[in-house]
Amino acid sequence: MRITAGDVAALERGVALLGSGGGGDTVTAAVLLRQLLSDGRALVVSSTAELAPSARVVPIGVVGATAAFTEKLPGGGEFAAAVAAVERWTGERADALMSIEIGGLNGLLPLVVADQLGLGYVDADLSGRGLPRLDQFSVAATGRGVAPAALAEPGGQVVVLAAGSDAVIERGTRAFLAGSGGWAAFALAPIPAGELAGCTVPGTTSGALELGRRVLAVGESPPRDALETALAGSVLARGRVLEVARHLGPGQHGSPGFGRGSVTLADHRDGGLLRLEMENEYLLALRDGTPVASTPDVLSVLDHRTGVPVSCDAIRTGVEVDVVRLAAAPFWTDPRWLPVVRPRAYGIDCDPVGIG
Amino acid sequence: MSLRRVLALPSWAEHVRLLAGAAGLDRPLATVQATLDASHRPAPGELTVVARPVAGTDWQIDALVRRCADAGATGVLLPGTEPLTASRLLADRLAVPLLTTGAPPLDLLVEARLLLAAPEIDRANLLLATHRALGDRLRPPEEVVAVVRRLLRSPVAVLDDRGAPLAGEVTGRVRLDEAVPQRTEVDGGVLLAHPVLLQRPAMWLAAELRGTEAARADVVPPALAVAAGALQRWLLANRLELERDARSRTALLGDLLRLDTEPGADLRRRVADAGWRLGGWHVGLHIGVPAAVDTVARTQEVMRALDVDAVVVEHGDGWTGWVTFDHEPTAERVRSLATRLQAAHRTLRLGAHMGVGRPHPRPEGLAATVAEALDAARLAATRPETGHFLHVDQLGMAQLLLEWTRTDTFEPAARALVAPLRSVPGDLVRTLSAYLDAESSIAETATVLGVHRNTVAARIARIEQLLGVDLSRPDERLALHLASRAVILSDE
Repeated sequence: MRITAGDVAALERGVALLGSGGGGDTVTAAVLLRQLLSDGRALVVSSTAELAPSARVVPIGVVGATAAFTEKLPGGGEFAAAVAAVERWTGERADALMSIEIGGLNGLLPLVVADQLGLGYVDADLSGRGLPRLDQFSVAATGRGVAPAALAEPGGQVVVLAAGSDAVIERGTRAFLAGSGGWAAFALAPIPAGELAGCTVPGTTSGALELGRRVLAVGESPPRDALETALAGSVLARGRVLEVARHLGPGQHGSPGFGRGSVTLADHRDGGLLRLEMENEYLLALRDGTPVASTPDVLSVLDHRTGVPVSCDAIRTGVEVDVVRLAAAPFWTDPRWLPVVRPRAYGIDCDPVGIG
Repeated sequence: MSLRRVLALPSWAEHVRLLAGAAGLDRPLATVQATLDASHRPAPGELTVVARPVAGTDWQIDALVRRCADAGATGVLLPGTEPLTASRLLADRLAVPLLTTGAPPLDLLVEARLLLAAPEIDRANLLLATHRALGDRLRPPEEVVAVVRRLLRSPVAVLDDRGAPLAGEVTGRVRLDEAVPQRTEVDGGVLLAHPVLLQRPAMWLAAELRGTEAARADVVPPALAVAAGALQRWLLANRLELERDARSRTALLGDLLRLDTEPGADLRRRVADAGWRLGGWHVGLHIGVPAAVDTVARTQEVMRALDVDAVVVEHGDGWTGWVTFDHEPTAERVRSLATRLQAAHRTLRLGAHMGVGRPHPRPEGLAATVAEALDAARLAATRPETGHFLHVDQLGMAQLLLEWTRTDTFEPAARALVAPLRSVPGDLVRTLSAYLDAESSIAETATVLGVHRNTVAARIARIEQLLGVDLSRPDERLALHLASRAVILSDE
């Protein structure tokens, strides 16, 4: 698959939708990508099957506070440093890159990095949506593990978390980010292409592009059924946001937890109250008190006027929005991996809604 | 009970705040339940008290409000929490009262539970008091009424199966055809009634609650049931006594009626014990009733109705009795007695027939007059024109005799006797009857039958020939007279 400048808008919309309210702001990454493709160039994205089984694929992405990413700009060498660090640690050269997370800016930025580093790019990722923690990556869920992982922050520090459980790597990463610039380029040990099928979510870049194209095609403020068709999902509610309440979630191991929040809107159709529970992503939807949708399905909030996804950080009262639900990647409905992304994995005492 | 009522409790009024869902304040409240479990499933009529600390931002509040609405529960009380606007909007939308309190929620729960239990406690207290007051002793309806009236501070009555008061007084009407505990709204109060059942309601216990007492209408029925049980015991014991008594008297009567010699010492002793007299002159009476009438239960009623100094015994299809005179009564006295008995018979309204015998002296006369009364009663059963009442006076005696010719044994014999006359032409049976009625006057017979006297003479000769009798002999005349009359009567 080739990606040209004309695809950037659709791809951006697609990854923003899959961010489920998280994943970070896509604007900067989209600008970089558009610049890269401005002179008619195209990026090649290969499916896992197109690679030699022995080809080494390094998952990369930005971790940490994605808001800080736009405040504290990258120096430009962070990704090269992170990839180099993990290559040096493992003694294996990278042949191609892939994204750790399709949802949000990590759905776009690794494409730019791959081009800059002159490496191939694989149509797969470790999340299939927006996910907040490293220990929720598909490689963690399937038991392959996150370690070793390299972090390079804009101040120049490079750290390799060589060994440890996924929870330890997650904790170490958070501690490092808290003591540095708030975000870092992140690279995992290379995975042989032949093993990707068993531990990653395939086809997500092409899927995000397709999703974005369909959604853009229905235009702004589309009718409800047209939007549902384009999303291959459902509109849970369409209305004005009445309340956004934010509070700190439960912390672990003495460190503060992620910010939590609730968004409530009244559906224009029947006055029904739709409440969204969110952390970094929208996680649970209740309609008049009854859970109607939850992670691992993707819950997104679209600005009703523009159709642009509204992140958990940005949502505020008074906006007219559509709350939509997209089916989870089949990877996450596998009962073996479901526990990693079900509501209880986020501390929400509720069974997954819509998953058997 | 409603949540609004609970909120009026002093501690609730002071410490509990209604956040939303005011439209649901009048939902019925059946129970107050504490929960620590976020996934608690409320029961209908339940006020759910969340007894663990809960953050106001917790989505589980919404889910609980929703489950309350779905289950028909009454509301949710949160401890020291300010829920989100979202939760308040939802409570308003679903009309589920959402409450919060700074006070210990379990203290509030106990107070609400006590209020809810108040009717139960009142009911239990009343029930115990009723049990204690009525005790194990058998009490007649008058005493039961007095006890229940004191306990309920309200008018109470025991009614018979036709709704007439046996004891006490109430103004409301009991629906006698519905053999179940009843509650009827009456002007300014409530009438409660409980049937006293044997096979069917034998009595009703009714209480009329007025004014503030009317508010206890839910509390009183179990106490009435207990009191009705006491009445039932009394009825059963009474009945047992009556039955025993009735059996011994019926046996004694049977022995007397079979008597054909002077009664033995033992029998005389039993008669004296029963308060009966064998000497003097007796006038027997018998009242027969349809099989459905409970004779044992009604003996007292019959004795009251007769209003004469009579012995009355359950016997056969009803009651047999007699009035004893010291000396032979004059015809005038007997007539006056019969008139009074007839009047009593009219007031009984049991669908009864009554017969009265002639005065006879001494024990054997007792059997005779009773036998006459039984016959007369049997005759009266088919005589609506006499009001189903028949007194065996001189006239009645003749009717009685004639009636005997209709008996099962006489009639076939009579038919056999005159059968030869019926097998030939000519109205020979009627001619014979008319001839004997006319005391053997050919002329008068001819007039009665409207035929020539030669015809009568020829027929009589033919009758004598066919039957082989001589109509000048008194015995044969009597036999044929009765036989022809019986056949004619039965053919009519």
